Amino acid sequence: MLVSNIEMFSPSSLSECLTYLSQSSKKHKLIAGGTDAAVRMKEGKWRPEIWINIKNLKELRYIEEKDGCIHIGPLTTHTDILRSDLLKRKADVLVEAAREVGATQMQNMGTIGGNIGTASPAGDTIPALYVLGALIEISSLNTKRLVPIEQFFIGPGRTILRENEMITGILIQPQHPNEIGIFQKLGPRKAQSISIVNVAISLKMIEGKHCHGGKIAFGSVGPAIIRAKKCESLLSQGPLTEELIQNIAKVAWKEVLPITDGRATALYRRDMASALLERGLYRLLRRWENR
Amino acid sequence: MKTIQLKVNGAVHSISCPPAKSLLDVLREDLGLTASKECCGKGECGSCTVLINDEAACSCIVLAGQADGQEIITCEGVGLNPNLDAIQESFIEEGATQCGYCTPGIIVSAKAFLNGIDHIPAVDEIKTALGGNLCRCTGYTKIIKAVQTAASRNSSEKEPVKG
Ligand SMILES: Cc1cc2nc3c(=O)[nH]c(=O)nc-3n(C[C@H](O)[C@H](O)[C@H](O)COP(=O)(O)OP(=O)(O)OC[C@H]3O[C@@H](n4cnc5c(N)ncnc54)[C@H](O)[C@@H]3O)c2cc1C
Ligand code: FES
Ligand code: FES
Repeated sequence: MLVSNIEMFSPSSLSECLTYLSQSSKKHKLIAGGTDAAVRMKEGKWRPEIWINIKNLKELRYIEEKDGCIHIGPLTTHTDILRSDLLKRKADVLVEAAREVGATQMQNMGTIGGNIGTASPAGDTIPALYVLGALIEISSLNTKRLVPIEQFFIGPGRTILRENEMITGILIQPQHPNEIGIFQKLGPRKAQSISIVNVAISLKMIEGKHCHGGKIAFGSVGPAIIRAKKCESLLSQGPLTEELIQNIAKVAWKEVLPITDGRATALYRRDMASALLERGLYRLLRRWENR
Repeated sequence: MKTIQLKVNGAVHSISCPPAKSLLDVLREDLGLTASKECCGKGECGSCTVLINDEAACSCIVLAGQADGQEIITCEGVGLNPNLDAIQESFIEEGATQCGYCTPGIIVSAKAFLNGIDHIPAVDEIKTALGGNLCRCTGYTKIIKAVQTAASRNSSEKEPVKG
C-alpha cells in the first residue's frame, strides 16, 4: 500500500466511530496523536487501507473522578496529564511517567490511549498504570468490557483488542494520602528517548520508614511489563532501611527478564533495573519524610 | 485525494492532497512555506515544529487529514522581516544560529514556551522546553541565552510605563 493511496475517515462521534469499526470491510487502523502510527507508516510497517482518525473525538478527552475511580479518556494527551491537578494529587506516578514521554512535541500530540495501543514493552505510562491498578474499558458497537491492564497485553505490540473494538476509557484507583509513587527511567539521553529500563513504584506508607506494602512494575525488561511480586512481598517485612532496600534491589536483578537488543544488553538491563529500583525507593522515602 | 481546510498563519487554505501526506510536506510543497524543515522525518529532531492550535508539534508526523480544520502557525507566522518577533530578534542578537536548519523549529518551540510563561526562565526550564529540538551546530549555549533575552524583552514590554 502506497502512503498516497491510504484513505482517512474522521468520525465526528464515538458512536459513528464504533459503527464504522463494526461495518468496515477495509483493512483499517485507528490513529490518535499519530506519534507512533505516522512513524510506523513512514517506515512501511503500518500500511492500513484506511486510517480512522480519532484525534478530534473530544468526548474521549477527559480526566475526572467519580464513583471512587479516576476516569481518563484515551485521547487525553501526556500534556493534559502533566497539567492535571487531580492526577498530581492522586496519581503522582502517572504524572511522572507522562513527563518522561518523548519531549514537548510528543507530549502535546501523543495520547495515553495510543501509548497503551502501541503495546510497546517500553511504553512509559504502562508501568505507572500497572501500579495504579488500571482497568481498560474496551468498547465495540454492542459490547463493553473492563479488563485489568495485566490481561490487556499478549506480547510486544499485541493486545486483546479485536478488529471492531477500541479503548474508550482508562480507570485507575486514586491514591490515598499515605500512598506515594515514583517513576524512574533510564534512556540513552534525557529527552526524547525510548526507555532502556523503567520502573514505577507505589508505596502505602504507615509511619517513619514503615510501609504497608506496595506495587512495583518494570518496563522494557521483558516481553511485557513485569510486576516484581517477589520484591513487593519484601516491602512490608520491616522498616525500609538501607539494608532492606539493597536486598529488594538484589531480588529485582533476578526477577526481571530482559533481552539484549540494539539499545542495551540483557546484563546491563538487569544491573540498571536493580539500580533504578534502589534509587527510586530512596527517593520515595526522602519525599515521604519531607512531605 | 481529499480536500482539507487549513488555517495557516491566519489565512485559510483549501488543499487537495492524499490524507496521509505529512503536514510538513503540505506546508512546504502545497503552500510554499519552506521555513519548516525536514531532517529526521520521524519526530526526533524538531526541525519541522509548528504550532497546532497553539501547541508545538512535529509536522513531519502529523498527517494532513488529521490537521483538517486546525489552526497552524509556522515560523513564518511568528514573524517575517521586517516585523520580527522578540524571539527572532534575540536569535540574531545572540548569534544563536549557524547553518540555520534547526532554527525555524526552535523559534516555534521557544515561542510556544514563552507564550505560556511570564517570567525569565531558568536554564533547566528552557532545556526541558526545547528537549525535542536538536541542533547540530551551535552547542545550545547561545540558543538558551537567546530564549532568556527574548523573555526579558517580552517582560520589559509588558511593564507599565513609568512617570
Ligand atoms: C520521537 C519520539 C519519541 C517518543 N518517546 C517516547 C517515550 O519516551 N516513551 C513512550 O512511552 N513513548 C514514546 N514515543 C511513542 C509515542 O509518542 C507514545 O506511545 C504515544 O503515547 C502514542 O500516542 P498517539 O496518540 O500518538 O498514538 P498513535 O500513534 O495515534 O497510535 C498508536 C497505536 O495505538 C492505537 N490506538 C490509539 N488510540 C487508540 C484507542 N483509543 N483504542 C485502541 N487503539 C488505539 C493505534 O491504532 C495505534 O496502533 C515516542 C515517539 C516518538 C516519535
Ligand atoms: S523532521 Fe520532524 S522531527 Fe525531525
Ligand atoms: S544551527 Fe545548524 S543545526 Fe542548529
